[in-house]
Amino acid sequence: MIDTIIEAFVFPGVLYVLIWTVALYWFFRKFMASLHKRVGPHFNGIGGSYQTLFDLSKLLTKESITPTGVNPYLFSMMPLLALIIAMLPSAFIPWSDGFVVIDSDYGLLALVVLISIEPFLLFLTGFGSNNKYSFLGGIRVLTQAISMETAFLLSALSPALLFGTLNLTSIADQSSWISFIILLPAFIIYFIALLGILEQPPFNIPDAEQEIVYGFYTEYSGTNYFLLQLAKFAEFMAIFAGATTLFLGAFKGLFFDSYFWFFIKMILVAMIMMTIRASTPRITMAQMLEFSWRYMVPLSLLNIAWVLVMRSFI
Amino acid sequence: MAPDGYIMQSIRDILNTYECEYIEDYKKIWIKAKIKNRDDLLRVAKEIKSNGLKSISTLSPTDFVADNIMEINYFFEDLKTKRNLWLKVDTPRDEESCEIESLSLLYPSALWHEREAYSMFGVRFLNHLDLRDIIKSEDFRGKYPFRKDFDWEAHSKEDVANVQTIVDAFKQEQNSNEVNLDKDSSETILNWGPTHPASGPIRLKVHCDGEDIIGIDPDIGYVWRALEHLIEKKDFLGAIVVVERLCFMDNINSMTGYALAVEEIAGVEITPFAKLLRSLLGEIGRVSSHFMGLGMFFNNMGLHTLAMWNMDIREFFLDFLESYSGARIATAAVEAGGVRYPLDIATLDELQKALDKFDDTIGDIDTIFVKNPTMSLRAKDVGNISYDEVIEFGLSGIVARASGVKTDIRIDEPYDAYGELDLDYITKTKGSAKDRFEMLFLEIKQSVEIIKILKEKIELGIESKEFDPLKDHLVKVPKKLPAGEALSRVEWARGEVLIHLVTQAKATNPYRIKLRAPSFNHTMMLDYLLKGKSLSDIPLIFGSLYICQGDLDR
Repeated sequence: MIDTIIEAFVFPGVLYVLIWTVALYWFFRKFMASLHKRVGPHFNGIGGSYQTLFDLSKLLTKESITPTGVNPYLFSMMPLLALIIAMLPSAFIPWSDGFVVIDSDYGLLALVVLISIEPFLLFLTGFGSNNKYSFLGGIRVLTQAISMETAFLLSALSPALLFGTLNLTSIADQSSWISFIILLPAFIIYFIALLGILEQPPFNIPDAEQEIVYGFYTEYSGTNYFLLQLAKFAEFMAIFAGATTLFLGAFKGLFFDSYFWFFIKMILVAMIMMTIRASTPRITMAQMLEFSWRYMVPLSLLNIAWVLVMRSFI
Repeated sequence: MAPDGYIMQSIRDILNTYECEYIEDYKKIWIKAKIKNRDDLLRVAKEIKSNGLKSISTLSPTDFVADNIMEINYFFEDLKTKRNLWLKVDTPRDEESCEIESLSLLYPSALWHEREAYSMFGVRFLNHLDLRDIIKSEDFRGKYPFRKDFDWEAHSKEDVANVQTIVDAFKQEQNSNEVNLDKDSSETILNWGPTHPASGPIRLKVHCDGEDIIGIDPDIGYVWRALEHLIEKKDFLGAIVVVERLCFMDNINSMTGYALAVEEIAGVEITPFAKLLRSLLGEIGRVSSHFMGLGMFFNNMGLHTLAMWNMDIREFFLDFLESYSGARIATAAVEAGGVRYPLDIATLDELQKALDKFDDTIGDIDTIFVKNPTMSLRAKDVGNISYDEVIEFGLSGIVARASGVKTDIRIDEPYDAYGELDLDYITKTKGSAKDRFEMLFLEIKQSVEIIKILKEKIELGIESKEFDPLKDHLVKVPKKLPAGEALSRVEWARGEVLIHLVTQAKATNPYRIKLRAPSFNHTMMLDYLLKGKSLSDIPLIFGSLYICQGDLDR
């Protein structure tokens, strides 16, 4: 009982997600600032580390405006639902040796399904905002999700094919340097699709501020916006953790195995993502669709074949 | 590069067949003429156009209350052979009969300029396709604020009522926004601006069907300050602070244009040292503006890194402006008679620092951003403007040169120290958004080269005691000017700025000034460029046209 409560509220539950959000938000700002030749948050705390705390607490105290003409339940429930669904995958992740909340034989399936539901919730936020920009944003989310998730799912399934199991713990256990190399193409496809699903440049089309004013975020403010931001960072965590577990050997590391290595690998993925963010402009919807269906999907199918062939050798 | 006399003569030949008050040569590449009969205007324009003067830079009414005439000045340009015609025609100034044939069917570039003249002076243009008010706010509807007999004080006494008028108009517009659309279609109206992350104070009324754009109606005037009117209220020296507020990004070249016009009326020749320093400051203004333009282009595609990097370099150039004039942005550094401040030779070290910083960092910008494959993918085929369209719509600056039109006032009609320099036109051929972006980059490099040459010339001149940096910067310009009229053109960062200045005898302030700013013409192109494109292209093309709302609204 106590264990369950700790797992739900401390690690890897609510508190962990909160701390992760605050820390990653700060890290993103600082890392981005150095790429921009700026200083970033500076005055509050060591290296401005309290700044995010202040920002988030400010959002919590601000008025949460519900526009007229929307369904208030749909409008306010979606951010909460989005957050909860984004937090669920961490129950299936093997965070360190032998530590996993739900050790399911279908862990990979759960991870993939929970991640794929998220864009549909965001679509509903846009749909429920009664705003043209948000609606366009919602449609863009959906279009992008449909085209990117095919490649995402196919690449996420390749470890399962290689190791013959859907259990995330056993995937992590069986991973090795050889499996890393075999799964490298799958990892690259996963990473590109990840940019699409997380709406990161060059695929930040759904919340393009210069085109449709942040899309589905437009009408959200105060607590609801806070929840959406939290959901976004929980989603970051789920997808980074997924990449780490599936392709990078989870908690395994040099000299010792622990959560430390898991964390380092997640941050590494985050850093690559940020560097791309700092150097690549946004592409258009049509270009994204073409890229996804003409290149990504065929390549991910080829990758499945590659994994199956390699499987007969190990 | 002045055109030869023979082709200039052909313009005279055309004008000679009509009744003219006078036809005279003006500067090297202009002919100034006044036709007597306003009914002749359309026929003259038709012949002029077939002679090759295919763009109208702007038109500028001057309101002479005493003579009861409204004199309309047309500035025709030929961007190919660099011949220009300044054509005047009178109309009666009372509101009922103040009308003239519209040239907008012949010259699309006159479309908005005629709307502006209509809004500000109440000149009605017959057969204009779209003669609506532009720029001025709703409380001026039916009033013509730039007419000399317009009572500004009475108008501003009604401020509360005026604001209410604006609010009412806004609400009415909001309510009727979509009423007129076809109910069965999926057409909708998106307001891109005026409080939009990428728009700046301009509103594009975007008619769209999902992501596809059906048409765009720009609504401008959100930062209208009536600059031309403000200048007429100031004295000749005080006016520079208004002129430089044309746009904060490159304020120096606009002051230069104004100073040239005043000097022409006063008959003052400035010293070679002041000429060098003016050009030097002007190029620094251009560099700092282009740096922002480069950054904006990428900002509009959701990438802020380049803007940040550029700000970093731009600060060094602003440091020099600060150490020279005391201000970083609004320098008020150029006035009629030269430049405003003496040059402390030590401040040139500040400039050297900026140049070093530039040389250190420009390579990175080239490799990461100018050669960026994703940018190229997006921008290489959108927003194409052809050679002929540039001429038709009277575009200028980098937008014109990106389409291969060789136009650059610094070379066509050299002013200040540009005559001594050996400049080349920088052009691209295709006129796409990407070409315009690359133009900015290439011109920054060109400007920095010019800065280096000018800096060396100044240093050599001071060393050889040819001029004294503490005394030669300014010659005296009388406070009262004679009656006169002047026209000056400068190559501003965004394109051609044309200044038409009219003074009356013993004047202490300008009687009429017209600032022709390039963004006005460029904004006209938006509907044309964006029709049939997708929403994603709006910020990209808007950014690539290098529009500044300051000079759009004035």
